Formats: sequence, structure tokens, C-alpha cells
Amino acid sequence: MTPTDVEVVELIGRRFTGGRYRIAHWENWLLTDCTGRDQLPDRLVHPIALFHVPILGSGTSIAELFAWCGAEGAGSVSLLGYDWEYFEPLVEDVEYRCEGGIVSAERAMSSAGNLSDTIAFSIELFDGERLAARITNRWRFHRSGS
Amino acid sequence: MIPEAMDIAVGDRIPGWTMATVDPARMKTMAALLRDPYSVHWDRAGNEAIGLGPRVINQGPLNVGYIANMLMAWAGPSTIRRLTLSFAGRVLDGDTVTAHGVVTSIESVAEAAIISCDVWLERDGVRLVTGTAVIETPAVQNPADSSRRLQGHQDRAIAAVPDDRPA
Repeated sequence: MTPTDVEVVELIGRRFTGGRYRIAHWENWLLTDCTGRDQLPDRLVHPIALFHVPILGSGTSIAELFAWCGAEGAGSVSLLGYDWEYFEPLVEDVEYRCEGGIVSAERAMSSAGNLSDTIAFSIELFDGERLAARITNRWRFHRSGS
Repeated sequence: MIPEAMDIAVGDRIPGWTMATVDPARMKTMAALLRDPYSVHWDRAGNEAIGLGPRVINQGPLNVGYIANMLMAWAGPSTIRRLTLSFAGRVLDGDTVTAHGVVTSIESVAEAAIISCDVWLERDGVRLVTGTAVIETPAVQNPADSSRRLQGHQDRAIAAVPDDRPA
């Protein structure tokens, strides 16, 4: 069911539970293999870990984000963009503390009359007290009702 | 080969990185790793039923991964500092895609060089992912000399800025 205008605005500022995530060797191995390159040296984690590690580490999931944002099923969500900052290389077997939430939500109607909501969430990863990485992802949720 | 910053100039093209065939089996592995329930990445029949065609859609992080692989092959495995990317089109199973990049600025900071690049992923000349990347590499063997050397590269690179940057 399409969220109301008020429900979309109310997403802004909603925080994730927060939590910790440790990237295992096997997980990094498979992740790197999926990209089609050789394994990285020195337990370095492939940079694309900044997609799922912040989401899962902050205590949420893709499924939960879709539910919060009222995703309407297959084909109803588009990626708009990522902004990923690496303040230090991520490595295996380090416990990262992850904190974040939804930072923006905007409803728009296209010239063709199609309704959609653009929603961004931002999550920071800490190695101890040091900020190790920060991500902001923007997704568009296409709405069937208007 | 990992280039030293002193050998990099504004306008340099980063060697391309090609994924010869986007493999649906890898998308399934990714879906499991990401705990991604979105069936467009692994259910061909489901995609066809809702009008998305008979192929599955590559995950955004994998498309980013090809760009990251290009950057790491060029500058080293721990040099990426920022990726800012927009998605303009879908990558599908069976596609051949190539990551490209071009150096847009070089800044000398302490003993490091901060290299900004335009990057993109294309299929048959169509750019499906576009954006920027920031790379940090050791500047030169002799840090005291780094500003002069990098400035020299910027000066001689002015005429080399390409005219085919991503929009």
C-alpha cells in the first residue's frame, strides 16, 4: 500500500537500532569472487562490502528497509546512487560499530503522472572510536497508487 | 602495474576493466551474501512475468565492484577513498561491461597524492553507471619534492583533458 505524504516525511530521522559487524574471511572471499577479480592481499576487504556491511551492521536489512519504505514488490525499487567514503581500508575480522538512519525522503510526481519516493539513508562505521567509513545510499520507490 | 603518483597526469585514461560475461550464478551468491530478498536478481521467470524481460538484473554493488576493480588494478588495493556513483541503466545477465576512468585532478597532501577521477561503466558505448572516485597514493619517493613534481604534471596535462567525460 502506498504510504501517505505524511508517512513519507515521517521516515526522515528514523534511526536504525545500531550494532556491530565483523567481516569474515569466507564472506570477503565470496564477495570478491563475485566481482570477478583475484583475492585482495593482507585481509583487505573488497570495497563493495560498503553495501551490505553498514545495512546489516546497523541492525537493519534490505527487507526491513523495503518494508519501512513501503516497497511494492519486484521491479518497484530503483537504485539512484551511492556515496561511499573510506577513511581507512576495511579489513577482515575487525568489529565495526555501525550507526545510522534515514536522512531524506522526497515524494515526486513525474510529468507522466507516475508517483515515486526518493529515500536516502546514511550509516557510519567506526573501528573503535575512529570513523572508518560512511555511506549514503539513495533508492527510488515507485508507487502504483496516487 | 601500480603507477607512482608522479607518473600520473590530469587527463590520463585509467586502463579499462572488463567483465566479459555478467554471470547470474554470481548474482545468486551476492543475493545470499547481502540477504537481499529482491527477486529481480535471481528469478528470470519472475522478471519475465512482470515485464522486465527474461534476464536477471545485476546488483548495484556488483556494478560498483567492476569500477572498484579497475581502480584497484591501476592504483593499488587499498587506495580508494571515495566512490560517488549514479545508476542510469540496468546491467543484465550475459552482458559484457567495461569500467573506464579518467584523471580529473591531482592534489598533493603531505606525503600523499589525492587523485580525483571521473569513472563510468558502459555496455556497447552506453554509460550505465557514472560518477567520481577519489584515490590516495603515496606521492613520490622524496616527499619534499612532491609539490613541484605534481604541479609539473598538472601543468603539462592542461591540454590533455579529454572531451568524452561522462555527462
